[in-house]
Amino acid sequence: MPPLHRVGIVQFPGTNCDLDTWEAVESIPNLTPVFLSHRDRRVPDLEAVILPGGFSYGDYLRTGSIAAKSPVMELVGDLAAAGVPILGICNGFQILTEAGLLPGTLLQNSGRTFLCREESLVIENCHTPFTSLFEPGTPLTLPIAHQEGRYFLDPDQLHELEENAQVLVRYARNPNGSLREIAGVVNKRGNVVGLMPHPERRVRALFGKPDGLLFFQSLSLFLERQLLHSSASTS
Amino acid sequence: MERIKSLLGRDPNITEEAVFSALWSEHCSYKSSRIHLRKFASKGPRVLMGPGENAGVVRVTSGKGIAFKMESHNHPSYIEPFQGAATGVGGILRDIFAMGARPVALTNSLVFGSLRQPRQMTLFRRVVSGIASYGNSIGVPTVGGEIWFDERYSKNILVNAFALGVVDEDGIMSSVPPQKPLLAVYLGNKTGRDGVSGASMASRSFSGSDSDLRPQVQVADPFVGKKVMEATLRIIREGLAEAIQDMGAAGLTSSSVEMASKAELGIEIDVAKVPLRDNSMEPWEVLLSESQERMLLLVEESRVNKILDIAQESQVSGTVVGRVIPEPVFRVKKEEDVFAEIPVKYLTDDAPLYDRPSDSRTSLLSPSLAFPPSEGGSHSIAALFHLLLDHPNGGSADWIFRQFDFEVGTRTLLPPGHDVAVIDIRAEEHAVAIALSGFSHPLTRDPARGAMLLVAKTVTDLAAVGAWPIGLTDCLNFGNPERPDTMSDFILAVTGISDAAKRFGIPVVSGNVSFYNETDGLSIPPTPILATCGLVRDKRTVVPGKVSHPGLYLGLAGSTRDLSLGGSYLDWILQDQSAPPVPGIDWEALEGLQTFMSTLLADRRLRATRAIGRGGFLRSLLQLVAGDETLGVALKLQRLEDPLQTFFSEAAGRMLVAYDPENSDSILRTSLEFGVPFQRIGITATHLWNIRYQDKDGRSKEISDSPVQLKRRFFGSLTDQMEDLP
Repeated sequence: MPPLHRVGIVQFPGTNCDLDTWEAVESIPNLTPVFLSHRDRRVPDLEAVILPGGFSYGDYLRTGSIAAKSPVMELVGDLAAAGVPILGICNGFQILTEAGLLPGTLLQNSGRTFLCREESLVIENCHTPFTSLFEPGTPLTLPIAHQEGRYFLDPDQLHELEENAQVLVRYARNPNGSLREIAGVVNKRGNVVGLMPHPERRVRALFGKPDGLLFFQSLSLFLERQLLHSSASTS
Repeated sequence: MERIKSLLGRDPNITEEAVFSALWSEHCSYKSSRIHLRKFASKGPRVLMGPGENAGVVRVTSGKGIAFKMESHNHPSYIEPFQGAATGVGGILRDIFAMGARPVALTNSLVFGSLRQPRQMTLFRRVVSGIASYGNSIGVPTVGGEIWFDERYSKNILVNAFALGVVDEDGIMSSVPPQKPLLAVYLGNKTGRDGVSGASMASRSFSGSDSDLRPQVQVADPFVGKKVMEATLRIIREGLAEAIQDMGAAGLTSSSVEMASKAELGIEIDVAKVPLRDNSMEPWEVLLSESQERMLLLVEESRVNKILDIAQESQVSGTVVGRVIPEPVFRVKKEEDVFAEIPVKYLTDDAPLYDRPSDSRTSLLSPSLAFPPSEGGSHSIAALFHLLLDHPNGGSADWIFRQFDFEVGTRTLLPPGHDVAVIDIRAEEHAVAIALSGFSHPLTRDPARGAMLLVAKTVTDLAAVGAWPIGLTDCLNFGNPERPDTMSDFILAVTGISDAAKRFGIPVVSGNVSFYNETDGLSIPPTPILATCGLVRDKRTVVPGKVSHPGLYLGLAGSTRDLSLGGSYLDWILQDQSAPPVPGIDWEALEGLQTFMSTLLADRRLRATRAIGRGGFLRSLLQLVAGDETLGVALKLQRLEDPLQTFFSEAAGRMLVAYDPENSDSILRTSLEFGVPFQRIGITATHLWNIRYQDKDGRSKEISDSPVQLKRRFFGSLTDQMEDLP
């Protein structure tokens, strides 16, 4: 029986993609999901953390802003600093930018309405724990479901982001006015990832093309490799 | 008032008068409709909970049930469209989780005036936004919806919301308490002045000077709604409550009085204990407030602390506000002072019950009148088809669907844009299909036959995915019941729905009546909106309502015995003065079609299916090939006696199917075996829209068009009007 890797899934009041994310993680044989409360400051043995989508704190004040100040984000910040893989999906992405763990911000869609539909995407950075199984340039289809998904940051930072190959994935056709069609980014270190599309909604074949599965399988592979390295270095 | 005085034997005080006014309102008492609603057959082997509960519950498989209901929120949405629509969604969700069911799907039917009026544009935009905001935020997918624009609804828009939840059979909660000492626990949002007397407002007609009604509309808070939902479901799961009802219309008053009345007990409420946003509220305001996101629980004393702990953990208010008492009275206290004391019976059983006069019209069986033959030429068929597509009523509703998060929860197997929405209920391989039908035009032509047609349409839609109807809920939107013609329409429509549902063996398990959809003396057309739920035995057999591949065969199945145009979309848009008859229903053929479709689907012999619905054959055909922009059809039809009827009738029980050529022979054989009329009509083809047929004199006719252009019309007619930004 290979060891199971513990993947924390953060539940803020108002998070609503937590169960879907749980099921996606659970569908990968060597990953085991663990719910984290917004109050948790210390949880042992987490090897990755996912911030699922939803409307944390009812989107009051500004999307993600209240959640970014909650106790569990201290834990997430510490883990991010230690190089643990962190993935924010949709509202989770918004929270990571509010917490300063990812560059940029997500503004209201240029069409000013909520948008729920499938989008064609192109993946660019395949060196993160969540995308290592993709080939750069792979086209994929994932659903978006958000009202605040327009990625924005100032020109200097944008330049830096592009220079460092921190753009993870782009829309084939811009749905929301994001700068440079950006749909997902990664931090400089390469362990904190934010995605507006929802990979957890496409892990089963019954349900459209299962293009989201590889994100979770990539994580599994990354954690297995890490295990191999650490056991090699300790032995 | 006289009636109240004679019942009490004294003058009521202000609090008592307010209580009577709310509970005797049409909205709460169903005083004009109750005697007619008894026609509905609500029993059946699958029915676990019928009318009278927060929502009906129907068994889908051993140990699992679905709870569902539809409700109107018409009046509030006209006054404040965003909040009115959002609270409509919140209210129907509370009805579902009050039964112990976890909501897994929402849908809606919306009717507005013409979009040419800026006011209607705003109402429409804000209603859609309100619905989306509540569903998206609370995390329940909005899996579909219907829209209709019609001048006659300019002053009385309709916003009907439907919700469905999944419940374990042994976890069903009720609003009927057992006969033992119980405490009343308040759970949820604090009470404010919003929505005070909303039920009375919704029970009257609007007039020109209604600018004072805004405070009577409630404000939605889906964030609190989610917390209340999770807390309530947990309380039920842990078996802590004896009875639950949501505080909807007439708030604390109706929930407490109704629950007590069902157990033939009394209830005492201390308004001083109710959590308030504004401490200066009078007792009658507290009683009648319709602040949202509140539940009333009847519980045993020993379990109160556990419930209050859950409330605190969930960050919502929880407090004991009263108790069930043996003497059957509704007593309102504020600390030691008694503000009202009314026998419960006076408020419920003794509420006025009217058998309102109706005019003696029986079902209108209009003479059969076809369209003038001059319109039967092929040129005019193409032109008529364009006319249908260019109106927002004939266009794609994609503009609303994309504002709904239709797949949060990842149970949505068929998203919006097909005949039905299909939801995975995660019980064996079962899924539930939801078919909506709320097109009023057939009822304008003939209320009884029109109502039957609506039921038959939902049955046909369900057959498209091989689903068998197991339960129906309805929302009956009508004008002023004090008018005999409205009352007559109402009785005919109820009879039609009831007869058709009985014929198919579908129990009517829940529903709602909305009267007084009238402004300045003008009523809306009779508009019942139905939602029929169907059971799909194996979710893996479900096929979509559209294809994207060329080279697939196309077939047409079902009875063509009566293809009258009465009540169709074409009839509506042409405003035909000859008033063609509403098509009758070929019951046996429709039953045959159900079996035929489920057999073919179970054998995986079909690639896509589309019931012929709004707009008729051509519009449904276009939707069937909507999977790819350039995909069209090449059809060759038999001789058509009446091309207009073939192409535009909306008679129930016709189905378009797409399949691989190798299944062609076997499908034909099955159709003969089941005695279902079936013909292969053509093939899907890229960049082609070509339909050949012979008219009744044997002359060859041809309709040619560009599929890309047709789809541009179809997808653009609503979206282009609504999008003001690139």
